[in-house]
Amino acid sequence: MKKTLYIFSNGQLRRKDNTIFFMNEEGEQKYIPVEDTAELMVFGEVDINKRFLEFCSQQEIIVHYFNNYGYYSGTFYPREHYNSGYMILRQAEAYLNMESRVSLAQKFVTGAAQNIRQVLKYYQNRDKEVGRQLQEIEELSTKIKETCDISVLMGIEGNIREYYYKAFDVIHGQSEFVFEGRSKRPPQNAMNTLISFGNSIVYSTVLSEIYKTHLDPRIGYLHATNFRRFSLNLDIAEIFKPILVDRVIFTLIGKKMISKRDFKKDSGGLMLKENGRRVFVEELENRLKTTITHRGIGNPVSYRRLMRLELYKLEKHLMGESVYEPFVTQW
Amino acid sequence: MDDFEFNITGTHIWYYYCCPREVWLMLHQVNPDEDDANMDLGRFIHEMTYGRDKSKEISLGNIRLDIVRQDKEGLVIGEVKKSSKYLKSARMQLAFYLAELKRRGIEATGELLFPKEKKKESVTLTADIEKELMKAIAAIHCIAAESRPPQARKIGLCKNCAYKEFCWA
Ligand code: SF4
Repeated sequence: MKKTLYIFSNGQLRRKDNTIFFMNEEGEQKYIPVEDTAELMVFGEVDINKRFLEFCSQQEIIVHYFNNYGYYSGTFYPREHYNSGYMILRQAEAYLNMESRVSLAQKFVTGAAQNIRQVLKYYQNRDKEVGRQLQEIEELSTKIKETCDISVLMGIEGNIREYYYKAFDVIHGQSEFVFEGRSKRPPQNAMNTLISFGNSIVYSTVLSEIYKTHLDPRIGYLHATNFRRFSLNLDIAEIFKPILVDRVIFTLIGKKMISKRDFKKDSGGLMLKENGRRVFVEELENRLKTTITHRGIGNPVSYRRLMRLELYKLEKHLMGESVYEPFVTQW
Repeated sequence: MDDFEFNITGTHIWYYYCCPREVWLMLHQVNPDEDDANMDLGRFIHEMTYGRDKSKEISLGNIRLDIVRQDKEGLVIGEVKKSSKYLKSARMQLAFYLAELKRRGIEATGELLFPKEKKKESVTLTADIEKELMKAIAAIHCIAAESRPPQARKIGLCKNCAYKEFCWA
């Protein structure tokens, strides 16, 4: 499996013959093994040029950019290398037909809700008092199937998350990470900063997986399509955020791998410092590499691979082969 | 997909006999995952085993022949295979090449090579085989016209198939 490379420092990315190198502000050079790299995640202030991008395109390396706060800001998506006119038409067809669009959107919200439920159950079994939140979420989940309106569906999902986030303080029990309500762009406190950072990485990871399929990332079902932004990755990420990002956050603060010292204030928001980012990314990568057994395939598959399988299931749904059912974790 | 045109290749014939689903997927450009380690094995074996003969590989229209040799008895074309497990598929694929050559006025016989097993099998184009080929070609056109692929069926080939995760996710 090709690797993901994270760049946290500032510097330049350049092509040199048939390799890529990164030169940091101090002038130190690091070569990047191209055959072995699937994607670059650029967090630092990095200067690039056309020659570099052309080379990435040729090597099918995807480059994701994140802003100062660690928010996803954009992607250099090399020209599509898998192309199936058949699949694009099916994907658009399912989007244009309101009934089929809503049914897929419902599946994504259901998948997210079920995985949220599994996370809470896990902590309930470890004597955390999250029973009330669990109950609220289960009640809200029953409403998912009753609506045929995307914006109402988004609202239900928002409410589910609200209850879910209320359980966070109970789960980790640490005052420096109290939730205090969701704040974005920029996040106002440590917990929000962690959530936003982790979600950004998951969005771009799913996007990289979409690149390996015949799907067009611009056509999402829950998240509206306007063809200028990627949205299918946001849909699929919903399912994985609770089991990847949130579980990682609980580990990081539970084991005191990240503390208040890893954050700094910046024009109106709170951001994670470089060391905190490194620790987070390492833990998330470990989780992405973790494997679980898959009955259909008959061998262990990693969480990253599960994202791909989710896309394959969606393709088969669009082909009219088998109805898409979201992945729900067993624990 | 009624206005859907394509040329049948030996690869289609090969898959038709072991997995019609794969034929459909290929015809609809739902290509397999290139990351998959199995993808390159065929090419690898070919290059490792017959590297010296590479210059002899020839293309003829939409067919690509692995090895061509002039024997005392006439022209012999060879096709290299990973294993003899899917003998029927391999035989019909080679027969397809022979038929294509015949269409162009070239008489030849075929030879299947299984370097891993150090085995060889010869294939000649009989009237029966020709008739069977016609049937297979017609059947492939029918598969192509279907709006969805034939159901996945678990076969031995799945284990090393680049579509494995796609089919069984
Ligand atoms: S995985 Fe099995 S069913 Fe699917 S295309 Fe390959 S051989 Fe056919």
